[in-house]
Amino acid sequence: MDMGIGLWCLQSTSTNPRSFGQAYQELVEDARLAEDNGVHSLWLSEHHAYYDGYCPALMPAAAAALAATENIQIGTGVLLLPLHEPQRIANAANLLNEQSSGRFHLGVGMGYRPIEFEIKQRDMSQRLKLMNAGLDALYSATQTPTWVGISSEKAAERAGRRGLGLFISGAFSKEVVNTLIRAHRTAWEKSDPDEDTPPPVGLLRNLWIVDSQKERRRALDWVRSSYLVYAGLGWGADNTGVDFVSQIETSMDEVEKSATVGSAEEIAAELDGYDVDLVVCRIGYDQPPRSALTEVIERIGRELAPLVQDSGVKL
Amino acid sequence: MRLLLDLRKISEPAERERLAREADGHGIWGVVVTGPRGGECVEASALATTTQHVTIVIDIDGNDVHPTTLAEEISVLDQITKRRTMVIFRGPSTSKTSLATLLSGLPCEGVILSPPPAQASIPVHSPEDIPETNLPEDMAQLATTIDQYRDSQTAFLIVSWARSIKELARHAVGRSASNDFPQMVADMADQIDPIDQ
Repeated sequence: MDMGIGLWCLQSTSTNPRSFGQAYQELVEDARLAEDNGVHSLWLSEHHAYYDGYCPALMPAAAAALAATENIQIGTGVLLLPLHEPQRIANAANLLNEQSSGRFHLGVGMGYRPIEFEIKQRDMSQRLKLMNAGLDALYSATQTPTWVGISSEKAAERAGRRGLGLFISGAFSKEVVNTLIRAHRTAWEKSDPDEDTPPPVGLLRNLWIVDSQKERRRALDWVRSSYLVYAGLGWGADNTGVDFVSQIETSMDEVEKSATVGSAEEIAAELDGYDVDLVVCRIGYDQPPRSALTEVIERIGRELAPLVQDSGVKL
Repeated sequence: MRLLLDLRKISEPAERERLAREADGHGIWGVVVTGPRGGECVEASALATTTQHVTIVIDIDGNDVHPTTLAEEISVLDQITKRRTMVIFRGPSTSKTSLATLLSGLPCEGVILSPPPAQASIPVHSPEDIPETNLPEDMAQLATTIDQYRDSQTAFLIVSWARSIKELARHAVGRSASNDFPQMVADMADQIDPIDQ
């Protein structure tokens, strides 16, 4: 099992305002730090038209991180494919892999914020159709390793039938995660694949390495806070069908429950139960001081990664 | 007049990077890059990461892509380049207008860029706005060419140059900026510090 880190969103939030120039500079610094400490990969995330500058264009950001490094993999977790022209994405992905000797991974998802479809003049009700057409176009235009962000069994099956990797959301229980993985694997096996090995599975996990109960509580507060920041994206979209405001405390409790916070040994034991190839440690919160972020990047690479290297499957 | 070194026809990525670094180190004002459709900002971002001063001019295909998507890519690029971005846009004029508005930090059809560009307004040009030339290797002819463009009120000149970037900087950058260029100083520099080709 490989250990990656995510999600770098390049925001300047109300909680932690900063210049965008600093955000993009720190992306490059963090990629170098992660590489120096043996972290497998760093993953970026996309949204559009949000007040905090949430990164709307992942390919140039990935290019900067790849150009500044030599070994670490850089991925999109995820790029919202229905909002883009697939051939342009395929061209950019091919160029990124040419420039980086194959270190770029393309994670794609559907998107859920109506405003993002409106500003690109796309019909959100057609997003599944747009997604499938986009995946068809990518299949014929790029060899880039492609992962699909999913949150349902049907979506996992669709990815499996196409032989594409899975990128599973961070807040699911182990039982749900394993159900999604089984659906993906079964659909892949039924598709009569040419390859011997199944497409990879990546799991996003709210995660932090701590040494004491005090640090544990602090890390869980960061997880709760990050969900609040993320939920703001839902509040900004007024017709998602989800009442984010009234559910916020319940949702934060659930996110806290699903977070993996502990010593490196405790986290390794917890992750050992997942049949996944990659865990993306979600540490890109906006509340931790920079020193805490850089420390946890170092510890993920130096302490956690060696403990889990024989778990799951090695990419 | 500002000189923009043309890297669009340099096929090898490593050679493009070397030339961009040389331009960066010798005070060339800008380098012009492009890429496959959708990859223009990827190419520019990679070069921006390995340079500090030179303006990265992207020659971008704006056909069959939403102008907001282009503006988002270029705005992110401008954050990465730290205000060193300029655009040559090829595509519908309506898209160019939308792009220029968005890259000025202004709303366009209800959309405003987030993040905004790092510079107050990213310049957006059409290809016909900026002349291009293969600079002659003969120094006297080079001087004449630069003088002609400079004296015809040309703001930017895209140049192809097969010789040393230091030589281009020594003989053409100052001449582009001033109609009182001391050629004697540049010639003396060639004697004191000969440039290996």
